[in-house]
Amino acid sequence: MPHPMPTFGSFSLLLALVLAVYSLAMGGASLWQMATGRAGRIAPERLSETARRAGIMTFAAVSCAAFALVWAAFTNDYSVAYILHHTNRDLHPAYKFSALWSGQEGSLLLWSWLLAAYGFVLRLRHKVDVRLTAHASTILSGVQVFFLLLLVFAAPPFSIQPGEIPPDGFGLNPLLQYPEMVIHPPMLYLGYVGFTVPFAFALGALIMRYPGEKWIHITRRWTMVTWLFLTVGIFLGAHWAYSVLGWGGYWGWDPVENASLMPWLTGTAFLHSVMMQEKRGMMKSWNVWLIFSTFMLTVLGTLLTRSGLVSSVHAFAQSSIGNWFYGFLVLVFCVCLFVFVRQRDHLKTENKLESIVSRESSFLFNNLILLVACFTVLWGTLFPVLSEYVQGSKATVGAPFYNRVALPIGLFLLFLTGVGPLLAWRSTTLRTIRRNFVLPSIATVATAIGLMFAHIRPWEDQSELYSLMAFSLGAGVITAILSEFLRGANVVRTQTGKNLFAASLQLIQRNTRRYGGYIVHFGVVVIIVGIAGGAFNQSTEQEVGFGDKINIGGYELRCQSYTQDSNANYDTEYALLDVYRHGNYVTQLAPEHRFYSASQTNSTIVANRSTLQHDLYVIYEGKNPETGKPIIKAFLNPLIAWIWIGVLIIILGTFVALAPAIKPALAASRVMHTEAVAVGSGD
Amino acid sequence: MGLVAAAVLTLASLTYIFWPAENPFSQRAKSRLDYLRERKDAVYENLRDLNFEYKAGKYPEEDYVTQRSLLENEAAEIMGEMERLERA
Repeated sequence: MPHPMPTFGSFSLLLALVLAVYSLAMGGASLWQMATGRAGRIAPERLSETARRAGIMTFAAVSCAAFALVWAAFTNDYSVAYILHHTNRDLHPAYKFSALWSGQEGSLLLWSWLLAAYGFVLRLRHKVDVRLTAHASTILSGVQVFFLLLLVFAAPPFSIQPGEIPPDGFGLNPLLQYPEMVIHPPMLYLGYVGFTVPFAFALGALIMRYPGEKWIHITRRWTMVTWLFLTVGIFLGAHWAYSVLGWGGYWGWDPVENASLMPWLTGTAFLHSVMMQEKRGMMKSWNVWLIFSTFMLTVLGTLLTRSGLVSSVHAFAQSSIGNWFYGFLVLVFCVCLFVFVRQRDHLKTENKLESIVSRESSFLFNNLILLVACFTVLWGTLFPVLSEYVQGSKATVGAPFYNRVALPIGLFLLFLTGVGPLLAWRSTTLRTIRRNFVLPSIATVATAIGLMFAHIRPWEDQSELYSLMAFSLGAGVITAILSEFLRGANVVRTQTGKNLFAASLQLIQRNTRRYGGYIVHFGVVVIIVGIAGGAFNQSTEQEVGFGDKINIGGYELRCQSYTQDSNANYDTEYALLDVYRHGNYVTQLAPEHRFYSASQTNSTIVANRSTLQHDLYVIYEGKNPETGKPIIKAFLNPLIAWIWIGVLIIILGTFVALAPAIKPALAASRVMHTEAVAVGSGD
Repeated sequence: MGLVAAAVLTLASLTYIFWPAENPFSQRAKSRLDYLRERKDAVYENLRDLNFEYKAGKYPEEDYVTQRSLLENEAAEIMGEMERLERA
């Protein structure tokens, strides 16, 4: 047999499809039997068990297919068209591995593999609630069947290259040859695919009219982990854009960036509003539609990234798989709508909104604002496509449109982040407001006044106004978070006699969800502060010869030399720039311009000196053909590092929120135990 | 080699799926009583949160008393229904 690995890969995908179809069909049949009480020749529990096991083996089969593709990449098997088009012999092994998701077929295989992996874990943990998990497992199988159908019939990753096989591959897109690209797409996909799990549980719970909110409890960790993956994926993408695309920014409202932002917005809304359902049995229909929408937006995101429907620097594929996705989206919507209409009486709310000034209303406003943001982004993303369909010409929606809407929305969300936790459930009286809002309000006003003394002029420039509001509200929110921690820690300190630090740690352990959430909010504020620094960006562009200088914001860049080099993968031109600040030598920067011979494409490698205060970001733009001298563009971007620090804080906060809480009684017994040990050891 | 690997994978899948399960795990349907127990736990947790926030000085006495009595009424209603269902 001439192509053993591709054959094995193709067969594994076909087997996975058969297994997923079996899991869907038998899972569905057994659930129907259980619901109607009609037993077939085989007991429904037994049938359901075989469906579960088929789902588990789907994971094994898709894993074999993914392994076969990676194997083909590492063995330079250019008989596989996908490997020929996305790798070459001299490609670094890490990028050969990342070839798995560098093209359309591979990334769909990654989608399918991650879905199978999530399904594998879910099916192994089925005893948490057998019937509900059986429903979710069947729904996951349905989604799996769609992606496997795509892989088998529309975008097969193991297609054999016709004719003579070239000795070397065409190489990987240079933009993807960057370390973050090895982890950014899997992170993003873990986020996209992960939302299928809460979606499946929500739909399953609705189909079986599951009494109570336990499905939310079961999926809480799934949703948070998924949300974290999506958050990290989005910011890794932003960091990649900042480091590789070389335009000085990290977010350009590109359609593919937007595609990842939309499910994040609805997913964030869902994470907040399910708390109302858990606590007060409210907003059941709303929550169900939030998670339905989030799932559909992840599918839309995959469609936008992989179909070539929109033009984007992040979209690395052009194809005709769009029709499959349209069909799937319509099918998912119809199924969701049908189930909702049929079972809507099951979603009756147990409590009504009692006051506009309450924790519930702050969640509601938070949700509305996030949905307005999502709709704005969706409209801006799809408007060019719609305008081309209706008018025949593609309209462009640029950053100014998004910024006009997103900035006020972001500020209002920041305001709610601070206000929400200070309000009481049901209704908040003026007495409570006075008690909780004094300190944050003082911090907000004092920061605003301080910044105006520091020469921020909000009345002269709108971007400075927004920055001032972001910094001031950020200070208010941080004060609110700190006061929440301090108040709680003081109670624990009184109860246990511990010092403030130990009491704070115990406070977090007692209610990891709440205090982890506050840490996440703190991370969000830090990110917003980093973004707000953008109002004070500076840039300059200049042609430099030996010894020439560029001045920007107190820095002086002196051109030490410029030269060129080459290796097996690419040729490079670069400049060596000595950096001085207020006359003192700081560092040397070497911005590059690369030419990749295998793919015949260019790439920019940014040189960046990042500090907590600002980034000195330098690009080699090419040589002036007349003078032969390099053209250098330099940016001074304030506070950018805080964006990445904020993401790290969010990761920390989410981990805290994911950790199981210690019940107060248990915590108290631990304290007593510790004291007993201390006393014992003292003897 | 590819065909052998494919055959092994298929055989392993079929064996695993159809291997008789000794105790196929089944579960009784969740009842209204189970649901009420969950609601009771949720209301108790809300009460614990309220007490903690009151001790932390977040709410004045009057607001705390009002909030607590609302939650206690809710808990009483749930427990009343639980008792009726358990007796039936």
